[in-house]
Amino acid sequence: MRRAALSFAAAVAAAWLAPAPARADVSDLAVKAAFLPKFARYVTWPASALAHNGQMVLCVIGDDPFGTMLNQSVTGQQVDGRGFVIRRLSSAAGASDCAIAFVDGPRTGEVLAALRHNPVLTVTDSRSSAQHGIIHFAIVGGRVRFYIDEAQAQAHGLVISSRLLALAIGVNQG
Amino acid sequence: MRTFRKSLLEWRSAPAMIFVVAVLILAGCIAIIFQNEATFRAGRDRQAQVAAQVLADSVSAAVDFGDPLAARQAVDAFRENPEVRYVGVYDRAGRPLAAYDPLGDHRGETLAHLMPEGPSGYRVLLPIVSAGQRIGTIVYSVQREAVSRRLTRYLTLGALALLAALVIVTLGLAQTALHRANRELSERAEALGQANELLAEQIEERAKAEEQLRQSHKMQALGQLTGGIAHDFNNLLTVIQGSADILTREELADDRRKRFANAIVQAAQNAAVLTSQLLAFARRQPLKPEIVDLCELVGGMTELLDRTMGERIRIETDLDRATPPVKVDRGQLQSAILNVGSNARDAMPDGGTLRIAVSPAPSGAGEPMAAISISDTGTGMDPETASRIFEPFFTTKKTGKGTGLGLSQVYGFATQSGGDVVVDSEPGKGTTVSILLPCSESSIVAQPVAEDDAVPDQPRADILVVEDNEEVGQFAETLLTELGHSVTLATSGEEALELARGHDFDVVFSDVVMPGMGGLRLAEQLAAEKPELPVILATGYSQEIAQSGSGGRPVILKPYRLATLSQALADAISAKDH
Repeated sequence: MRRAALSFAAAVAAAWLAPAPARADVSDLAVKAAFLPKFARYVTWPASALAHNGQMVLCVIGDDPFGTMLNQSVTGQQVDGRGFVIRRLSSAAGASDCAIAFVDGPRTGEVLAALRHNPVLTVTDSRSSAQHGIIHFAIVGGRVRFYIDEAQAQAHGLVISSRLLALAIGVNQG
Repeated sequence: MRTFRKSLLEWRSAPAMIFVVAVLILAGCIAIIFQNEATFRAGRDRQAQVAAQVLADSVSAAVDFGDPLAARQAVDAFRENPEVRYVGVYDRAGRPLAAYDPLGDHRGETLAHLMPEGPSGYRVLLPIVSAGQRIGTIVYSVQREAVSRRLTRYLTLGALALLAALVIVTLGLAQTALHRANRELSERAEALGQANELLAEQIEERAKAEEQLRQSHKMQALGQLTGGIAHDFNNLLTVIQGSADILTREELADDRRKRFANAIVQAAQNAAVLTSQLLAFARRQPLKPEIVDLCELVGGMTELLDRTMGERIRIETDLDRATPPVKVDRGQLQSAILNVGSNARDAMPDGGTLRIAVSPAPSGAGEPMAAISISDTGTGMDPETASRIFEPFFTTKKTGKGTGLGLSQVYGFATQSGGDVVVDSEPGKGTTVSILLPCSESSIVAQPVAEDDAVPDQPRADILVVEDNEEVGQFAETLLTELGHSVTLATSGEEALELARGHDFDVVFSDVVMPGMGGLRLAEQLAAEKPELPVILATGYSQEIAQSGSGGRPVILKPYRLATLSQALADAISAKDH
């Protein structure tokens, strides 16, 4: 009985710990899409922000690698009773009420500079950008991980929960 | 009875109370154990809850982001706690994200398949909540305290409680036993007291009975004594009465008159001996001690003894001339010898030998003694009789035949003189009575005064006679007037003192025992007022003189002879004149 349980557990663990490389891209994107709304739970915005109809605005600025995956991931998600709204933008223009902004594409640095003083959690991806937002995705050990730039977050007027910081690969404290 | 019943009640209720107290203590201890256990469990459960809650909070992000490494870090923090048996972090679907499983019981199990917790553990299942949503589950198991350890803990407590109960029971029992012992002791003391009272009562009753017995003995003895005395006196009185009757006859010839008068004198002398014996027994007889040579005294008595003993008894004497003189009353010593002699005669109804020996007595460390040993060849006595012969009124003779005073006079005289009497007798072998008398330091032997009936010629004297007894007073007055003296009679000491103050008498002749002022006090008073006036005292019996003497004054013993009285008067008057 115990042996059976052990072999079963081992099988599950193996399946979970070693995802198939062929599906890596899609799977990684899905994970990243799932992560984006979750970040909101560990970030505190200044009281003046987030006044947009009682909803969290999740912006994708520049390229959109997620497609419908992001829409799926925010479905049913709530932070402090607020639902999510996805807004896709091509530039920083119109990004003033974004709470979270996933910035991707060749103009990433420009967008980040433009949002530098806004209370917005900027997220970038190492796969396509050398520029770091407050949170910067990376693949480590075949898993989606992230860096956190706490100094930049402070510049944006955001406070990041230590619980989230604990999950980061590295934290830039300035 | 009440205290007993009470004590019984105490004795019965005490163990019950002790038992109740012991049970209460045990119950208290058990209650404390349960309370302790409950508190301990509650505390431990709360602790587990808190630990799980803290873990849920800290691991929420890791679960949220599906970060098993972070979750494992959080879980691994519990390695430090040895009581933690399992910590599991499960995601929303119930799949294990990270686990600390030191026993390896739950490896890889999903939440739904998690094996139930055993009785030795305590498990907390707590949801991991993030932003109001349940994102996973914490499973937190701690080990209950090991049964053996708990048992040890409670056994220790139980043992302590048992020990306390035991101590109380022991103390209680000891106390009860002590109480009982005390009570028994007091009961015994009470019983002892009662027994003592009873004994005291019995002793008292016995003393009363003895007193009554003694009283009846005394009355019996008194009867014996009065019987004997009455008999002896009646004999003497018969002689006196008869002689006096004859003397009243006118035609009696002179020689016969003299014979009857002499018979009266003789009877009176015998009567005087009898009364002196009585006084000797009473030890109130005034002794006139003088230096006496025993050999001479006994030698002078042989003729008298010969006559007293009768023809069938031979008298022998063995006189050691080296015997030192003694200081005793000559007349009493003679009486004593005669008394022993007459008893010896009565012990030899068929005749025998009376042997009188005088010798120095072998004395121990005490003063030197002389002994007069009087032995007979008579019937002897058994030890019981020998031990009683000195008892007053003890006699082996028929009632009325003896006073029972003879030998008691001997004993009284000897002891009063500072000596002793020793009796050596055996039935059939005769009796030896030894009178021991202390030797005198002086060797000058007084010459016995000649019993001279001749009345010396005297000059006429003025005499004050003091006598409370009217008959005796008148007799003395007649006697002295007959002798040619002038006599004044006073009936009391006070009256005599008055008379003496008003008139110069040549001599005072006073009785000693009188109501009011006695002779001795009168003499002292007169000595103070008229030191020249001689006083002669007369007494038949006086405790005062026997005890303290007469103060150097001449004392005449009643009954006195005419010659004695006139001699004393002559001595007093001549002493005054010179």
